[in-house]
Amino acid sequence: MANKSVWSDNRFWQRSAAWVTGFASVLLIWLTFDTSAQISMGNDADLQNGVTKRVPGPTVINYKITYEMSQKRGHEVPIIGGNDGKGMSLFQEKETFFGRDDWSEEEAAELLHLGKLGTQAKNCMNCHTLLGNGAYYAPDLTKAWLDPAWGPNGSMQAMTGKDTKEEAMAEFLQHPSQYPTHERMMPNLGITAEEAKGIVAFLKHMSSIDTNGFPRNFAKIQGAVHGK
Amino acid sequence: MFEPFTDVVPSFFGWLNQGPLTLTIFLHTVIILPMIWIYFQEKKRLENEN
Amino acid sequence: MASNHLTGIGSESKQLATWYFTFAAILFGAQLLFGLVAAIQYVMPGFLFEVLDFSVARMLHINALVVWMVFAMFGAVYWLLPDETGIETVGIKIGKLLYWIFVAAIAVVVLVYLFIQVGPADETSIWFIHEGREYIEAPRWADFGIVVVALGFVGNLFLTGIKGKQTGIVTVLMADMIAFAGLYLAGMFFTDNITVDQYWWWWVIHLWVEATWEVYVGSIAAYGLITMIGAHRKTVEMWLWIEVAMLFGSGILGLGHHYFWIGTPEYWWEIGALFSALEPLPLVAMFIHVLYDWGKTQGAEMNAEHTDEDNVRSVIKNKPAFTWFVLNAFGNFLGAGIWGFFHTLPQVNLYTHGTQFTSAHGHLAFFGAYATILVGMMYIAIQGTNGIKVMKHTKSSIWAVSMITGGVVGMTVALTIAGYVQVLVSRAQMGATWAGYFDGQSGMWFAQAMDWRLIMGAVTFIGFLLLVKDFLSTGKNPVHER
Repeated sequence: MANKSVWSDNRFWQRSAAWVTGFASVLLIWLTFDTSAQISMGNDADLQNGVTKRVPGPTVINYKITYEMSQKRGHEVPIIGGNDGKGMSLFQEKETFFGRDDWSEEEAAELLHLGKLGTQAKNCMNCHTLLGNGAYYAPDLTKAWLDPAWGPNGSMQAMTGKDTKEEAMAEFLQHPSQYPTHERMMPNLGITAEEAKGIVAFLKHMSSIDTNGFPRNFAKIQGAVHGK
Repeated sequence: MFEPFTDVVPSFFGWLNQGPLTLTIFLHTVIILPMIWIYFQEKKRLENEN
Repeated sequence: MASNHLTGIGSESKQLATWYFTFAAILFGAQLLFGLVAAIQYVMPGFLFEVLDFSVARMLHINALVVWMVFAMFGAVYWLLPDETGIETVGIKIGKLLYWIFVAAIAVVVLVYLFIQVGPADETSIWFIHEGREYIEAPRWADFGIVVVALGFVGNLFLTGIKGKQTGIVTVLMADMIAFAGLYLAGMFFTDNITVDQYWWWWVIHLWVEATWEVYVGSIAAYGLITMIGAHRKTVEMWLWIEVAMLFGSGILGLGHHYFWIGTPEYWWEIGALFSALEPLPLVAMFIHVLYDWGKTQGAEMNAEHTDEDNVRSVIKNKPAFTWFVLNAFGNFLGAGIWGFFHTLPQVNLYTHGTQFTSAHGHLAFFGAYATILVGMMYIAIQGTNGIKVMKHTKSSIWAVSMITGGVVGMTVALTIAGYVQVLVSRAQMGATWAGYFDGQSGMWFAQAMDWRLIMGAVTFIGFLLLVKDFLSTGKNPVHER
């Protein structure tokens, strides 16, 4: 063989494949460390000290949460405890959750733990989407806590006959087939009152996660209950 | 010259994100470039074998 | 070694492969059946309400999908190992034992899914009923079972690969399968942090279907080209290495396209967008490679027999299998490549994320990239176990492949249209609320798309029945050359 081209040489491609795979894997591991540090759950002290975390601590359920445009970020972000006017959270304004706005770190964490277990045990993800992932048979739950339907003038809250958002959601979760909202109904999954409380806490917590502006223009059409 | 961070937490990868595609072009480049070195090594080997 | 592929008789590894293929085919049927239930529920929401709800049907639909593919993948490796390494697979006794453990575990898991369905919100549900995490719902006890079975499989592959002849195909498979098994560990823990949960969940799902499974398909395609049309091993293996470089080069960091909106940093927008945008390239390469090799070997054959123009033989030694392999080249590029690229850029994905678009992509990609080539391998096994020299199409093999492909493409088109409605109405216009969601779902275009999806699903299922009929009868059919 006179002049064999490197381009048709197996060893060249084999070594290239090994290099590319190895290096991409190393980069992914590096990125994973970087991301893991940024997505670890915050704690109560962060909320007290006004530290913005991508995933706030469980006691975020004591605060009012909204979803508003941030000039700096260029998209909507969760605003916790009031807006400083520039799209940053003030961590001031509280909001009662099942009648209290002083859930301790342990209590809130326990509630969130129960709620997260509940969402898995009840298989929420195989009808709904969480953070946009799951099945597409039922509405996305990423910002369900902020949905105008559950708000003071919302149809869902009115239907359950409850006075607050959390109570309305908990009531619906316990007896979904009593409240047919659409031809497509949610089945009864045997969710207890305590589990429902946990799941609502999970939903409120999830709405406070910074999802880089997903979903876009959430609830803007219907008069924007929480936004502008 | 450098763009301000817009993300929640500054980081090395966020810093490489200096405008359209800077981060991803950088990463693609560092992955592809060493293949040139592999190419010339293999070329030399093939020549020696002849 | 080279001609051994024509017969599976006498090889225990190949016998085990046929067991794997058989159970895979049964689960394939289960997948389609539960898919049909879920499709009916879109059209008639009251169907089996609070008996077999959408969540259960859908869980069984996607779990049966993953598991039948894993079964067929293990089977295909056990099939090709004796051909590639030139020896009988090491540890075949353990392999057979693990097979039965695997089958029994899956039977238990399915029965629990069907009859218990949901449990209380505590750890026992996660351990014994299901984990409620899309695609990897299997309860924790089964996770450990899967790890043991996968380790046994990888162990057999490695021991055989080290002892026997180590071809390029075997080398790639060894590296790929250990990554495939190892990645499962990333999906086995519980956390209260949904962002961390989904971060690692994607390590399993993405790094399986967009990296390790694709490389696996590359190796199987290489084996298929050598056995079915006598392609030149050196050329085929060169392509395989190129594909590995391109698939892992784009696929590993392409993982970033799942990290746009789950709470992870913004830099994933760029990493995910551009790396995953390159993911179709190796699929184009695979497509070109398959057709090029076919044309080349056929051309050589025709030149060799130029004395008798009318009697030029086809180089294809297994027509039905080769049809499925060519479909794989098409389907992988269209389903994974094109339909994936549609919504991989963050600017687009902001609106398409979590809509029927994903579902359209999922259907065509899983079918095009994996189902096709695995069905092709099943035909190769039928050829081998029946000692057939040249396997021809039968009426039912042609009808099966046409109806299944037509059905899946039809479902994909219907779901894509449904996805457009969701993106435009529920997302862009209504801002993704509860009310917006149902406005989109009750739109005429959406509703009709779901009708068509059901019809096309039924077509796919009939095609599957014909496929089974062909599997069961073609081995003894006298049309084949023996």
